[in-house]
Amino acid sequence: MEVNARGVQIGYGEHVIVNEIDIDIKQGEITTIIGPNGSGKSTVLKALTRLLDYKIGTIDVDGEDIRKIESKDLAKKMGVLPQKHQAPPDFKVKDLVSFGRMPYQKWFQGNTKEDDEIVEWAMKEAGVYELRERSIQACSGGQAQRVWIATVLAQKPQILFLDEPTTYLDISYQLETMRLLKRLNKSSGIGVVMVLHDLSHALEVSDKIVVIKDGKKYSEGTPAEVVTPQMMKEVYGVACEIVFINGRKNPVIAYDEIV
Amino acid sequence: MENSVKTSRVVAVCLTLVGLILGMSIVALNVGSAGYSVSEIINAIFSDEPSTVKVVVMNLRLPRVILGLIVGASLAVAGAILQSVMGNPLADPGTIGVSAGAGTAAITILLLFPHLSASVPIFAFVGAGLTCVLIFVMAWDNGISPMRIILSGVAINSVLGAYNSFLQLLHADDLQNVLAFMNGSLSGRSWNQVYIALAYGSVGLILAFCCTKTANLLLLGEDMAKSLGVNVNKSRIALSAVSAFLAASTVTVVGMIGFVGLVVPHMARLMVGSDYKALLPTSTLLGGLVLLVADTVGRVIIPGMEVPVGIIMALVGGPFFLYMLKKRGKVYGG
Repeated sequence: MEVNARGVQIGYGEHVIVNEIDIDIKQGEITTIIGPNGSGKSTVLKALTRLLDYKIGTIDVDGEDIRKIESKDLAKKMGVLPQKHQAPPDFKVKDLVSFGRMPYQKWFQGNTKEDDEIVEWAMKEAGVYELRERSIQACSGGQAQRVWIATVLAQKPQILFLDEPTTYLDISYQLETMRLLKRLNKSSGIGVVMVLHDLSHALEVSDKIVVIKDGKKYSEGTPAEVVTPQMMKEVYGVACEIVFINGRKNPVIAYDEIV
Repeated sequence: MENSVKTSRVVAVCLTLVGLILGMSIVALNVGSAGYSVSEIINAIFSDEPSTVKVVVMNLRLPRVILGLIVGASLAVAGAILQSVMGNPLADPGTIGVSAGAGTAAITILLLFPHLSASVPIFAFVGAGLTCVLIFVMAWDNGISPMRIILSGVAINSVLGAYNSFLQLLHADDLQNVLAFMNGSLSGRSWNQVYIALAYGSVGLILAFCCTKTANLLLLGEDMAKSLGVNVNKSRIALSAVSAFLAASTVTVVGMIGFVGLVVPHMARLMVGSDYKALLPTSTLLGGLVLLVADTVGRVIIPGMEVPVGIIMALVGGPFFLYMLKKRGKVYGG
């Protein structure tokens, strides 16, 4: 599966947020969109997943205009974990994950045996199978995030889209979420597209990074190509060195000392 | 674990409610200006001989009990559905002006276009629907903002209230019908009205139960529902229409009764949780029970006088509303 955006302009009303963006998303890759606050990175993700309409340009999913695809068909291809989501605190993990089967069901249908099996598979993949009878409010922040990822996985999508999946989580849960996504990507070849704030996570897990600045694409490429002292200076206004450590594939960022 | 709802629990709650409704119905048939024993009532209902007991029970009290159950169930379910659409546990056809919209349309027809009186239910439904649209338009701020919904509702309620009062002033000689609308009351309703309520109510309730899945999905937030393949806007329109239909059907028969749709779903959530599969049946039964209790209390609380059930509900519901406003956010964990 492929998502191709060409010359896309996105905005609310008269206000243009993102302009002339070209992005190509491929199944099997981890693509990370980074950029400063207000640069429009979440807006791009929303347009790629049809949560937001765009004004000019084209977005195609496997060559088909994204606007013309049936909602349920789109939901079978792409799983989206938006930044804003909620659930009544007493909902059970199992029931929440079952919502992922929604695109495959008619409005009057409940879970079939196949649905139950896929829900079970998704919970096991995301490591929440043991929590299945627990209510969502009884889960920790990291567990809850994995439950939501399981919900999206139950859609059996070819590409997962996640909007800042690590925000509000402490570092151990952040790394846990990153590990989970990397493992899913490697084991099942599922594509992952995410908006991240944390550049070290982006460096560590991405196959490709897209940098957005002021609503425009600044650069894209492999982590080592994209994350450079020059980019950090021009996009974030931050001075740093990019340090390669023996035995590690990707470099790390050493910000200038604060004195 | 302790919060997970089991089917057996839902069944137990519903069976208990059915038992309480039966018990309360017997009490409601018993009490009143003339008190009858249970055996007298049963004899009267099943005997062919005409008697005062039979007239009072069959023509006055029984229709009233049945009407109370239908209206209570309809209002409770209308509220529960509206709360999912609006993403706000404080939404209720009464508090956000949907009932007032239905009432305004009905009063306008009765006073200004009396020749259309037979079509009052249709106009009431349109009035309720238009009010829903108005609330959405006013509360829209890059998505639905729960607080703006309540604030728009308050504003709409007060404007419609002013219009209704003004119409009353202009038609002070024809107030009988109008007053009945303003203070929702079950008093003096005939079997005919029971049949009307039953017809509209059952259609509305069946439609509402068809919305169970969508109502649940909307609880996950607009973006999440969308990305699960739900057409959020269409679903909102459909669910609002069902809720408006239920609210309007009660308004045409018994007038405006507030707070049932607020109090009952909240109590039901405490009993069986937020899943609409459990919430709707529980709200249906509990709604009927609550309105029956409120009406019966209204009949006996002041000897020799009847307090309309709308007043009783407002008296209990107002403080309840404030209590929920205070603990708002905990309900949906937001």
